[in-house]
Amino acid sequence: MARIHLLPDDLISQIAAGEVVERPASVVKELLENALDAGAGQIRVDLTGGGKRSIRVADDGLGMDRDDALLAFDRHATSKIGTFEELERVATLGFRGEALASIAAVARVELLTADEPGEGHRVRVEGGRIRRAEPAARDRGTTVEVASLFFNVPARRKFLKTARTELRRSVEVVQGYALARPDIAFTLSHEGRALLEAPAAGEGGAGMAERVRQIFGASLVDRLESFGVEDGVGRRVAGLVGDPSTARPRRLFVFVNGRLLRDRAILATYYRAVRDEWRNEEFPSLFLFLDLPPEEIDVNVHPQKAEVRFRSPAILNEVSEALRAGLARSLGEVAAPLSEPWRRPSAPAAWEAGDGGWRRPPEGGSFGGTSVAEGLPGGRLAEIHLHPGRPATVPLSGRDGQVRPFRILGQYKGTLVLLEGPDGLYLIDQHVAHERILYERFRRDLERERPASQRLLEPQLLELARDEALRLGELAGALEERGFSLTRLSGDSLGLTAVPAALGTDRARDLLLELARDDDEAAGSGVEGLDRRLLEALSASLACRSAVKMHDVLSIGEMEHLVSELFRAEQPYACPHGRPVVLTMEDAELERRFGRR
Amino acid sequence: MEIRLDRAAFMAELTPMQGIVERKSTIPVLSHILLRCVGDRLQLSATDLDVSLTSSVTGEVTREGGIAVQARKFSEIIRALVGDEVLLALEDEKTLRIAAGRSRFKIRGLLPEDFPSLPQVKGDEPLEIPFEGLQRMISKVIFAVSTEESRFQLSGALLHIKEGKIEMVATDGRRLALVENPVDGLPDASEGVLVPRKALQELQRFEGDGAIQFRRGEHHLSFRLGQRELIGRILDGTFPDYDRVIARDNDKRVSLDRKLLIDAIQRVALLTGDRARAIRLRFAPDEVVLSAANPDLGEAVEKLACEYDGPEIEIGMNPDYLVQFLVAAETAKVRLELKDENTQCVGFPIDGADERYLCVVMPMRI
Ligand SMILES: Nc1ncnc2c1ncn2[C@@H]1O[C@H](COP(=O)(O)OP(=O)(O)OP(=O)(O)O)[C@@H](O)[C@H]1O
Ligand SMILES: [Mg+2]
Repeated sequence: MARIHLLPDDLISQIAAGEVVERPASVVKELLENALDAGAGQIRVDLTGGGKRSIRVADDGLGMDRDDALLAFDRHATSKIGTFEELERVATLGFRGEALASIAAVARVELLTADEPGEGHRVRVEGGRIRRAEPAARDRGTTVEVASLFFNVPARRKFLKTARTELRRSVEVVQGYALARPDIAFTLSHEGRALLEAPAAGEGGAGMAERVRQIFGASLVDRLESFGVEDGVGRRVAGLVGDPSTARPRRLFVFVNGRLLRDRAILATYYRAVRDEWRNEEFPSLFLFLDLPPEEIDVNVHPQKAEVRFRSPAILNEVSEALRAGLARSLGEVAAPLSEPWRRPSAPAAWEAGDGGWRRPPEGGSFGGTSVAEGLPGGRLAEIHLHPGRPATVPLSGRDGQVRPFRILGQYKGTLVLLEGPDGLYLIDQHVAHERILYERFRRDLERERPASQRLLEPQLLELARDEALRLGELAGALEERGFSLTRLSGDSLGLTAVPAALGTDRARDLLLELARDDDEAAGSGVEGLDRRLLEALSASLACRSAVKMHDVLSIGEMEHLVSELFRAEQPYACPHGRPVVLTMEDAELERRFGRR
Repeated sequence: MEIRLDRAAFMAELTPMQGIVERKSTIPVLSHILLRCVGDRLQLSATDLDVSLTSSVTGEVTREGGIAVQARKFSEIIRALVGDEVLLALEDEKTLRIAAGRSRFKIRGLLPEDFPSLPQVKGDEPLEIPFEGLQRMISKVIFAVSTEESRFQLSGALLHIKEGKIEMVATDGRRLALVENPVDGLPDASEGVLVPRKALQELQRFEGDGAIQFRRGEHHLSFRLGQRELIGRILDGTFPDYDRVIARDNDKRVSLDRKLLIDAIQRVALLTGDRARAIRLRFAPDEVVLSAANPDLGEAVEKLACEYDGPEIEIGMNPDYLVQFLVAAETAKVRLELKDENTQCVGFPIDGADERYLCVVMPMRI
């Protein structure tokens, strides 16, 4: 490897500054990139304490001699670029000479490296200072061990999540680079337990498929469709995209010139392609590889090298086209010609047009208005503005004990309950209102008593990807309290041994799988996501005995009951998914609209 | 077609067809039954594509042929008619004329070709299984068949013919019922078949005595009793390895009066909520205390004598699961075998007529 040198000052000033190390996963990413730049054929990552206690990355790459081993920890010391021209067409993953210095500033680092078999060096750095350097034997290659991350920055340490969450992020990074380089062998362990074992899988499509299988299992491979275009002069868009059943948010892997990215522009292109092609908000697994001549991308834009800038944005059109073809094929269809979807006004945009009056509540989310929209004349949404039911002005008998009269005016299209209040007109979405009531009742029951749990004759097998198993593991306590029992079978498979008695076994299993996938942002994640899903499943499994639906005609008595229960709820204004329950139109506003003021 | 029939005999064969016909089918022809005159008989067929029933009744045939008619309306008409005799005749290929007494009906139908062709189960000599015994065995396991639609491999009972005996097993993953009885002259069939629930239900509605002729085809099973033949599609999927699942080392044995136990459970279960039905049973020497509590409703407790001399043990269970087993057990006394609150309870009749009958009920944590 070329010798490490300090970058000249004027070049340093050109390099995107910012925080390189945010969490253990960022350390893992930098160390993996260094190993790959060093031409490793085998990379081994060992973590303890979710990476908070220690991270060790060992490679069999070129290694460093004694001088380089010492210089590597200096800021702006790199062997990878030296001039502006080189910064303009970076072909390595590293280029700033920042990573090791940034890591060493906030951790205890030990470097063991050898550029010839046997003749190695050990360098110890703590809080940015070199503590020790000595000869030490090692096969050719480099091992970097990073212990006690943020030991000298307690404020940063406090911001780290639980070991499991941090571990999950590191796992995702290793998965990412393992996918980028199927030709290289990767192993990952946590506290001695193997989390990923991927022997070199070879090159090309076959290697890629094998690598996906090694990481996510054969069932995913079968559900992927490959796509790709190439212009013959070094530009290529290729990848794999799944069918709708593969949708999971953390399975969107984007690589540009072998660099693992979270590039917003590319992801946005993907989301748009899915929405357009499938009319769907579920985004299937994606492995996207974009290869371009190095001078066509600017890698020097993001402190964690998570994004790049395309010198020619037209490439995104190619990406979009390729994705759409892949998506169409994965549904067994042929791609539609590219229209101009982004010109088409979406419903939410139309709602915001116009002035004054009804406005859509902010907490509604992009689909928050669905239920209300169904009750309103469709074509005129642009002129009607919705106003959030402002908690302070709701005059109904509430939890505060105040009782003020309200009058039920009736039901609108079997969907909305209309109320006359002292200060205006109220619209209540009956379905969402009832959902809110059931949800709170369920939460109260949960606090009061554990739901009965039914043991199963035989454990139900849950086959999970590693990150999914970790996610469920994080929830073990909450799951137990709610009547689920899980045991570890083999690898990442879990056995479901007991389910909440009121739930069907399959429903319970699906619920856990959904929770493990963590892909439905509306339903949420963690304990909250669990409760929402449980509530939904329970009310569904109780055959919605009591649940009021859209287009259910209600008697005045039923409406009264619903409304008074709703206003006793802790949070009557939004359903568990954050959709609005109540909209108001105040008298003053009505008067203004009728030109009386 | 044209045929003159005895109305009562015809009604007797028409009624069981109603159980097969899909009430809310999206395929219109499945709400029909096929009538066909052949030789000196009228053949009747109904199918929901998974389970089919055919039967026949003798009559005076003047012309052969057939038509498919809407099942419910047609049998309502036949039932409502007066007179011992009824005449069925084709007006044209899609219209059936019905005449009895002074009544005349013309009803629209479909071409017989539009009716799905029913599977034929051919093959070796049929096995003879005493009908009454088979019905009794079905009634001892059918309650444990899963009603969860997605669990198709559990939506039927396993019928396993062994040398000289028959075994039937059903489970929904929360309890399991197994019954085994000797039947003379049965050969050994290496593996069991999964009989769909609907076929089991229809078999229970069969009337008559003697032996059922049982045939197993590649994809279908045939049960024939007299002129009736029930054909069911064999359920695919692997049934759990039930022998391995049944606990054999439950060391705490309690004997109880079956009827008293049923009554006590049903009383206590009045105070279980609708979300999850669960009662507690605490077994102490010579006494079991049943209880249920529900924060919205209140509590119920009932004591019952039993024969037991082991250590005290408490276990939660779904009262419905227990009662269904107890009702099926039939004997004066039953035995429950337990180990601890997390382990299955296995119930047995004491001195029953069956060679082997047991029901596993998985516990609940309340
Ligand atoms: N695993 C390794 N094997 C061989 N050399 C390495 C290894 N890790 C680091 N080096 C050397 O140390 C230098 C500094 O590494 P560092 O990660 O700090 O910077 P960089 O990779 O050049 O740029 P960047 O900050 O963008 O990662 C590298 O340029 C490389 O020469
Ligand atoms: Mg680097």
